[in-house]
Amino acid sequence: MEAREARMDSAFDHGLAVPQVRGKLRRRLVPGLLRARAILYGILAIILVIAFTLAVSVVFLRIKGAGDLLITLWPAYAFVLAGYLATRGFKDRKLWAFGLAMTVGVLLAGLGVALVLGVMGVSGGDGNKAFAVVLLGLIFVGFGLPLTWSLTGSRRWFTELRGAEGPAIRTADVLEQEVTVADLVIHPGAVPAVAMTVAPTVAMTEGERHGNVDPLVSVRGLKKHFPIVGGLLRRQIGTIYAVDGVDFDIYPGEVFSLVGESGCGKTTLGRTLLQLTPPTDGRVVFNGLELEDVDPDDMRPLRRKMQIIFQDPFGSLNPRMPVSDIIGEGLFAQGITNRAERDKRVEDSLEIVGLRRDYTRRFPHEFSGGQRQRIGVARALALNPDFVVCDEPVSALDVSIQSQVLNLLLDLKRDLNLTYLFISHNLSVVEYFSDRIGVMYLGKIAEEGTVEELYRNPRHPYTVALLSAIPDPDPRKRRKRLVLKGDVPSPAAPPSGCRFHTRCWLRERLGNPEQCSTVEPVLRVLDDTGHRAACHFAEEINEAVVQETAATQSVLETAVAG
Amino acid sequence: MTEVLAAPGPVGAPPDRDVLLEVRSLRTYFKVLDGIVPAVDDISFSLKRGQTLGIVGESGSGKSVTALTIMRLLDIPPASIGDGSEVWFDGREILSMPLDEMRKIRGNDAAMIFQEPLTSLNPVFTIGDQIAEQVELHLKIKKRAAMDRAIESLQLVGIPSPERRVKQYPHEMSGGMRQRVMIAMALSCEPKLLIADEPTTALDVTIQAQILELLKSIQQRTGSALLLITHDLGVVAEMVDNVIVMYTGQIVEQGTVHEVLLEPRDPYTMGLLESIPSVEKRGGRLSAIKGVVPSPFNLPPACRFEPRCPYAWDRCRTVPPDLNRVGSGGHLARCHLHTSEGAGRLPDALQRHRTALNLGRTLPTGGH
Ligand SMILES: Nc1ncnc2c1ncn2[C@@H]1O[C@H](COP(=O)(O)OP(=O)(O)OP(=O)(O)O)[C@@H](O)[C@H]1O
Ligand code: SF4
Ligand code: SF4
Ligand SMILES: [Mg+2]
Repeated sequence: MEAREARMDSAFDHGLAVPQVRGKLRRRLVPGLLRARAILYGILAIILVIAFTLAVSVVFLRIKGAGDLLITLWPAYAFVLAGYLATRGFKDRKLWAFGLAMTVGVLLAGLGVALVLGVMGVSGGDGNKAFAVVLLGLIFVGFGLPLTWSLTGSRRWFTELRGAEGPAIRTADVLEQEVTVADLVIHPGAVPAVAMTVAPTVAMTEGERHGNVDPLVSVRGLKKHFPIVGGLLRRQIGTIYAVDGVDFDIYPGEVFSLVGESGCGKTTLGRTLLQLTPPTDGRVVFNGLELEDVDPDDMRPLRRKMQIIFQDPFGSLNPRMPVSDIIGEGLFAQGITNRAERDKRVEDSLEIVGLRRDYTRRFPHEFSGGQRQRIGVARALALNPDFVVCDEPVSALDVSIQSQVLNLLLDLKRDLNLTYLFISHNLSVVEYFSDRIGVMYLGKIAEEGTVEELYRNPRHPYTVALLSAIPDPDPRKRRKRLVLKGDVPSPAAPPSGCRFHTRCWLRERLGNPEQCSTVEPVLRVLDDTGHRAACHFAEEINEAVVQETAATQSVLETAVAG
Repeated sequence: MTEVLAAPGPVGAPPDRDVLLEVRSLRTYFKVLDGIVPAVDDISFSLKRGQTLGIVGESGSGKSVTALTIMRLLDIPPASIGDGSEVWFDGREILSMPLDEMRKIRGNDAAMIFQEPLTSLNPVFTIGDQIAEQVELHLKIKKRAAMDRAIESLQLVGIPSPERRVKQYPHEMSGGMRQRVMIAMALSCEPKLLIADEPTTALDVTIQAQILELLKSIQQRTGSALLLITHDLGVVAEMVDNVIVMYTGQIVEQGTVHEVLLEPRDPYTMGLLESIPSVEKRGGRLSAIKGVVPSPFNLPPACRFEPRCPYAWDRCRTVPPDLNRVGSGGHLARCHLHTSEGAGRLPDALQRHRTALNLGRTLPTGGH
């Protein structure tokens, strides 16, 4: 009894147990320190610039008079101005932004040389002074660039620039979803306290249902927000709440799937979970190891264990690399530097995914879509991972090829003891492929449960609509669908209360209860199977209600909420 | 090359009055660096007024080229249309028609919706201008009236506050909205034929459901015929009366939606249906069509599906199969199994198909 109570205490509103942590993997330096270091270097660099300029002007060029000295200091002005503008623009004040600012300053200084040279030459000014200024400028371009490069950790700057982060959001993307700039700055309403006090009705923990095994992956309160930058100075004008507080566990050997419409945050969640992009908030525990603010560079020991297969078999392979390098890259990074050994591992993994061993010298364009996806699978498996995120692995493939790749993934899972996070928008594939499913809507999980529960007994109006939208290849089953209104709202301005309320058919049916638009529903446990849904009125949903709603719906109204 | 049993009516004479669109022995080629691609290779079918026809096939099977040829939207060259190809629309042969006459038909009587609505809308004009221009051109009415007509047609496809929407540009709308606008444009002149090429492929499932429901209700209301091109057997099952299955530029099976999807008789269609994942197959492997679609430059000599076909025998490697009649109705399949030579093998093949289709259905679900 006491143990049970302790468990109740530890269970949050999401009804999941506190993950067991055996160790931590964290950034070597906390970001605050990093930032402080960068700023310190920056100030030092500016002082150096000024001192150096003054020294050269006074001692070697014998320039006197405050006015003249102020002119010779122009590279320093450019430096400071550029640095200021650049850090203003990069709101999340990344180290690389600072490095970039420094370099931009130096380059501006170089540009200034040409300008001053021109002005002085034309006005017939003092040739000596002009020479001094030009010289100074050149010195800065020559020495300043390597200096700032090494001072501000440009290596990291480049890895981040190259796209660990990616140009996730451009203003245009957001505007396309019909949001005005005014919408963007509104923060989603704070969750009223009432919502949090709903007691979890956990009779059995998820762990117990899985035979008292610890989860392989635990995610708690995971968030990933992207700044929306716009305007000349690239200021932050809003936030995309791509993943906004997600909790779930994945148990060893299972297939956990994420479904939802495009833009609901599936891919971001997968990438954040793997620390391919740093989370804004929340915890990820992998096999008892807490991943806290891990730098992509520091993930190397874990990369081996956690892999990803990307969505697009055409875009995710480097077209200029032969297969041996595409697959071998990861092996090399893991310290397998012996060419012969690496080649053997590459050939082995090709064989595992059903390709010929002698394909290693070929380039991606020599393969069909299905074969390329196999190469992507081989690349992920070459390192013997335990956990693989499969991000829409079959979406770009034709039906006849799709089943080949799905079979391959299932065989490998069985033979190599893998655990999958499977991301897809195809609900028929997900139903066939998964053990448990999380339905995502606007950065949150709307419903979670076993395949049987979720498909037979959906308890969130959104899940009901998704299931109703699946086109069934059996013409005898033609039926009236339950069609949702409008488009998915922009993740930059999620609706207040329940995020789904702007499109919810159940809310309408119940006469628009106020709760829906004011109180954010908790993802609460509904029964013994661990079925969870984030809807105040989950109990109101049943087959009869769904059919009746579908029958009385008008097709033309369905666009109105857009 | 192959004799087509479906060849409708004598060549040169118009089809029956109730037939809106009739395609006869249509061949479209592309001349490319590596040689000639027979993108559409001898295709014949007909579509009655007010009826719906679906064309399914995987990428590269020639679905889109068929539609573009019918609408005469291909650039010639690089494309060329084979001798003896005929397309009869509303009692007239349109492949031999002067282009300006064809243009009149294209806006008035036949309209087309494409996969990616953004590429087919002009980014620098407002939605209203684009619809109104089309209406003006084809219905010969004044600018004001044309704009009213544009607003009306946006209303028809369920776009909220159309008066405001007509002033917007395509990029200011979501994918679903743009597809609605395309449908509005296509319908603004009340066409007799609507060709929709993968109208929902770029959209999310819930938006796909909106658009399909919309297409269905408008098609029923206006009584126009619908030619729907898709790779999704589910969409076909939901939307059309008759189905054509294409593989490497040829029709491999044709019949009513019930015949083709419930009693497929071509091994390719059978394989496609077997490979669809379903809940009953959980815990088991999916049955898959082995190999890949052949390159258009290196097609198998006789039956093009032969290298992938589980029922192939010697004859399939030497004699190209015709579209053979299956049963008594209009159900056709391009396969030797439906000739006297293959009759002995047919029961076994059908049995294997049934087993593959039900794979895992008898097993307990789960396996995890
Ligand atoms: N402009 C072109 N030049 C050369 N070849 C072309 C051209 N357009 C299409 N093809 C070829 O014609 C064949 C049929 O193409 P089509 O676009 O009709 O296929 P599809 O069935 O519509 O495929 P998808 O589902 O990918 O749209 C393919 O082999 C394709 O490469
Ligand atoms: S809480 Fe209200 S708006 Fe949200 S899903 Fe439930 S009924 Fe719909
Ligand atoms: S003709 Fe032969 S190879 Fe072709 S589909 Fe029929 S059985 Fe298969
Ligand atoms: Mg196409």
